[in-house]
Formats: sequence, structure tokens, C-alpha cells
Amino acid sequence: MTFAPVPLDLLPDALNASFKLIPAIMVSAMLLLFLGIGYAFRVADTEDLWVAGRSIGNVENGMAIGANWMSAASYLGMAALIALSGYYGLAYVVGWSTGYFILLIFLAAQMRRFGKYTAPDFVGDRFDSDTARAIAALTTILIGFVYSVGQARGMGLVGIYVFGGDYVTMVVLMMGITVGYLALSGMLGATKNMAVQYVILIVAFLAGLYAVGWTQGYSTFLPQVEYGALLSSLSTEFTEPFSSGGFYLWVATAFSLIVGTCGLPHVLVRFYTVESERTARWSTVWGLFFICLLYLSAPAFAAFGTDLYANKVGEVYGANGMSGAEGDVIVVIASQLANLPTWFVGLVAAGGIAAAIATTAGLFIAASSAAAHDIYTNIINSDATQRQQLLIGRATIVALGAIVTLTALDPPALVGELVALAFSLAGLVLFPMFFLGLWWENANRPGALAGMTTGLLIWVGAVLNELVLATDAGPVVPVYADLFPAVGAALLGTPIVFAVTIGVSLATDEPPERIKRIVRQCHSPEPMGQQQSAEDVVSADGGQVSTDGGRVSSDDDHPQGDD
Amino acid sequence: MSDNHSRQSDTDSRTDESNPSVETDGGEPEPGEPRRGATRTDGGVATGGPTADTDTDYLDSRVNIFKPSTPFMRDHLRIVWTMFAAWAVFVFGPVTATYLATDFMTSVTVLGFPLHYLLTAIGAPTGALLLSFVYARKRDQLDEEYGIDHSGGATTSDAESEPAATDGGADR
Repeated sequence: MTFAPVPLDLLPDALNASFKLIPAIMVSAMLLLFLGIGYAFRVADTEDLWVAGRSIGNVENGMAIGANWMSAASYLGMAALIALSGYYGLAYVVGWSTGYFILLIFLAAQMRRFGKYTAPDFVGDRFDSDTARAIAALTTILIGFVYSVGQARGMGLVGIYVFGGDYVTMVVLMMGITVGYLALSGMLGATKNMAVQYVILIVAFLAGLYAVGWTQGYSTFLPQVEYGALLSSLSTEFTEPFSSGGFYLWVATAFSLIVGTCGLPHVLVRFYTVESERTARWSTVWGLFFICLLYLSAPAFAAFGTDLYANKVGEVYGANGMSGAEGDVIVVIASQLANLPTWFVGLVAAGGIAAAIATTAGLFIAASSAAAHDIYTNIINSDATQRQQLLIGRATIVALGAIVTLTALDPPALVGELVALAFSLAGLVLFPMFFLGLWWENANRPGALAGMTTGLLIWVGAVLNELVLATDAGPVVPVYADLFPAVGAALLGTPIVFAVTIGVSLATDEPPERIKRIVRQCHSPEPMGQQQSAEDVVSADGGQVSTDGGRVSSDDDHPQGDD
Repeated sequence: MSDNHSRQSDTDSRTDESNPSVETDGGEPEPGEPRRGATRTDGGVATGGPTADTDTDYLDSRVNIFKPSTPFMRDHLRIVWTMFAAWAVFVFGPVTATYLATDFMTSVTVLGFPLHYLLTAIGAPTGALLLSFVYARKRDQLDEEYGIDHSGGATTSDAESEPAATDGGADR
């Protein structure tokens, strides 16, 4: 429904775009801080680049999960969707927060026990197939690309407020900074940075919300709840259910975002950075707590912004209503319209940039390790030195940055919607592989290949149908768009992928005993060493029985392979 | 130690009543299998390690989310499925109720919010957060019940294990 291409020629009128000295200094100082932290924690070997030496603790990892997660889509796009599409926008709040619970109960600890560097590595090793690894790696790169386009758009729009100039210059500048910092620091720096970035973005967002609520008389101490009183005075579009998106689309969107959360490579990699599976669990709880701080506040910010816009600028809804570009910076516009001091609005803007950079960093890291580790080292050149891997990883970051920048110059949708596309892809292709791979030992190679291919086809079909080939008249095949909306294709698609994977697995040979034992090790309650993976335990065992550090000595004589 | 033992006999009797050999063969009954009793005595008492679960060989226990094959996995999955059901109500309950009873959900006002907006915007995320906390707590309790210690346990088990395991672990 909301997928009409958004023209970007208009700058948000209400935004007062021009060069502002103090906000510019604040944003520059923040970027220098990130570069400084990245430099201080720069890395020279791949273990550190990818998993930060598995040295990160509960709360710090929780913050990193939060910062990694809360992109421009959360900081800017969430409020935009709520303001522009009303109750439908809440599907994003629900999907992007509650998905972490599924991740926690079904995947986090088992993933940690499996102990692979990257999502493609998991798929490749679990299904014992370099083709599966390659498909997963390409999907990871594709997710990073689609997702980052949304971030680049967000950074560009906020950059206009701070530095003036035009959208194109700002996108290029911001992406240049992101790529430079990433190529320098790698994952350890990024993890250290993420805790800092989380603090900056949550402080900026909450400070903005409290200041707007306080100065405009909307709220006092708990704007996250007090905005309720305001709802009845807003246009009915804000609260009326199913006005801009029906029940099916709502559920499909929320479902896609939930399974997408569980399939996103840059989210899952955060579980490899912790010391134990208990830490993996508790850091997820912390991460969700940090995420909820923002997600409970975004609807309040949207309500304040919508009311201010209606009072001071004009109609919010309808033909001459708020534009997509204005919506995407509603958080900054609200602060501006509340007549807050320029430096303060600059702080809110800086938070948006921090959010976008943190997430782009995580995505680019995931994509670069997919290219260097999974495609280059495992498939093309198995003798690759660390130096070569780092080189490939950094080249990927630079190349991806260039493509993202080009695409972001004329993006086809709102920040939040662009990002939702990436979730839909992750939920269709990667989530079923993670879930079945960890919870059903008989899922095998042909099953995974068939399932992933099906998922990719469904997603590509939905995007072509609704975005790339669509005309002003609407999608090419309306029925397909109804059943598989691009942002919600996983509701029907993921069960199909599950069915294909299970069906093909049942019709073909069972996976080898070695793989089954690795899967079983993921579900054993025995603690594992900090640097151990399930594969280590199983192979250290020499194919024999004992897995518990040699404690059970009397099991040697019991029947093997009793199935 | 004594706690572990009493808990363990509970598990055993429960297991024996329902399905005598559920943990080894994925649900195909094979009554009168002698291994459990013998192993439990050795594994539990002789070596003095965590007693609770040394009688289960996890590498020989099938993994299938609908057919848990070990006592631990069964207990864990009971928690998982219960909480999953609660989660589904929090997440998709409000929107479904709004769809089915639109007038009621939009006209009732709580704290200034229309009920459907309150339950969706605040109820669902907060519910998921609370459930996550409860799950992590329950899982910790389950770990304790089964004598699993993640803090010192991992390193201890490394130190005690055969060299091959240590090598495998340190190998990058």
C-alpha cells in the first residue's frame, strides 16, 4: 500500500535546512570519536575482526545488540511510519521488538554452541555444502545492501539539516565516513563503538522526546504513556485500525519482521561475540530491554510530531499532507517545531546519524566476512592468508559502500520500508535454515538448497512485482502482491520454504552421522569452553561416545547407533 | 548432591511411566533397556561430577523439536512452548481482537489510549520483554537443576578433558 515511490526533490519545508555551526561541530565530534575508538581498538587478525575474540559481556553485548539493531529505521523510520500510516505503523514496533523473544527461545544459545563465525558459515557447515554456503553468503550481502540503502537515505536527510547542502552530497559524505571508519576498525572497534553509539542515540532520542513533550505541554515524566491523552485530538488516521493497511498486511508485516529478526546475519553474529551461552541468553534480554526503551518512545515522538505539524505547518494526511521525506525526519522536525535551541536539535540529529552508522557498520561487517570468509576463503582460495582475507573484506566494504551510495541517491521507499524488505528476505531464506538446521537433525543438503532457492525466488518475485517493475497503476500481478506483499512476504513464504525443505529432506538421504552429532551437541546442556564449537567437541571425541569432558567413563560399551 | 539425587529419581520415575526409553531411540519403545540404571550409578556417584545428567548421551539423542529425546530437552521444550504460546497472544492477540471486535477495541479508552492502540503499542513490546526475562530466569533454574554451571564450569571442564578437546577448542 505505502509503496508509491517517494520523490526526493523536495526538501522538507519544515526542516530549515542550512549549515548550522554548533550541530555541525557536534556531529563532526561524534564521528571523530567513533573513528578514534575504532582506531584505538583496530585489529590485525581475523578472529578479532569477526567475533571480537569472544570477550564481550552481558550488558555491553546487550547495548551492542541495541545499537546494531537500532538503525535509522528505528530512530527515524519508526516514527515516520507511525505518523504516516497510523495503526499499520505499529506492526513495525511490534515486529521489530517481539522477534527477539523467538530468537532467544529458539536460536540464541544453540547458535552460540554451534560456534561459527558467520551466518553463511553456519549454513555451509550444517548442511555440508559449499553451494548452500554461497547462497547464504550472497543473501547476507543482499540483505546488507538493501538494509544499508535505508540507512544512507536516513543519514542523507539528517545531514541536510545539519550541514545544509543537497541530498546527493550528504549521502556521499556520510557513506564515505562510514566506510572509512569501518575499514579501519573491524568488529572489535565496532563492538566497543556500539556501546557508545547506543548511549548517544538513546540519550539523544529520549532527551528530544522529553524536551518536546515538556516544552509543548504534552507530557511530564513518562511521555511513553502520557501521549495517550493526545491521541483523541489527532486526525483519526493516526489511530484508526486498518485504514492504510488491512488486517492481513498488518499480520504479514509483523510476522515478516519477527522471522527476519531471527534470520538477520548481523544480529546473529552478536551471539558469537559472547563468552558463554548463558551470556548469549541474558544479553538478548538486555538487548530487548534497550530496544524497548526506544520502541516505546517512538510512537510518543510520532504523536507529538504529528500534532505539531498539524498545528504549525498544515495538513498531515491527504494530497498536500506530510511528504515521505518529511516523515522520515519527523523526529528532527518535531524538535525544530517545538522551538528547541539549535544545538539541541543538532543533538537529536546526531543521534539519528549514530544509529545509521552503527547499523551500517554491523551490516557491512557481516557482508564483508561473508565475502572474505565464506566465498573467498572457503570456496575460491582455501589457502588464503589472513592478510588476503582482510584485504578482500575491506575491498567488499568499499565496493558495497559505493553501490549503496549510488542506490540511495534515488531510493524507492521510506527508510522503514526499505529496511523491512531486508527483513522479509532474511525471514524467507535464512530463518528456515537456522531453525530447521538447529531443531531437526534430519534436515539435509538437498532440502536446504531447495528451500533457500524457493525463498529467494519468492522474495525476488515480490520485489520485482511491487517495486522494480511496478507502474503507477500498481503491481504487475496484483494477486501476488496481495498474498506476498514485499514487506510481508514471509507470512506465506516462510511456511512454504519450511515445507519444501522438510519435503525434500524426507525424500532424500539423511545427513551423515557426523552432522547429526554436531546438531545434538548444540542441544546438550553440558557447558562448552569459551573457544569451543560443537564441531570441536564432536571431532575431539574421535567419533566415540563421551562428550562431557570425559566424565562418563562407563559408557564405552553401550550400543552405538541404536537407531 | 542429595537434591540432585531426589530430583533425578523424580525424573526417572516420570520417564519410566510415560515412555521407558524415550531418550535413546526417539520414541520407539524398547522396554527393559538396562543401560540407564547402570550408567546413572557410575556417572553420578563415582566421578563426582554434575550428577544430574551424566546418564544421558547427548550425541546419541535425536534432535527433533516435536520429539524431545532427553529429559533435559523435554523439560526445556515444555518451557519454550508454554512461553511461545503466551508470546503469540501478546503479539497477535491485540490486532486480531481489533479485527474481530473493531468497535469495542477502538471505543474503550484506557489511560487516554484507545484500547487497541495501548495493547499493540505498549502491551506487545513490554510483554515480549517480560517473557524474555522470565524465560532466561527459568532457563537458569533448569541449568541449576541439571547441574550446569556456565561460569566456572566451562573452564573446569576444559581443564579436565582430554588434550584433544583443548586443542580443538584453542585451534583457530
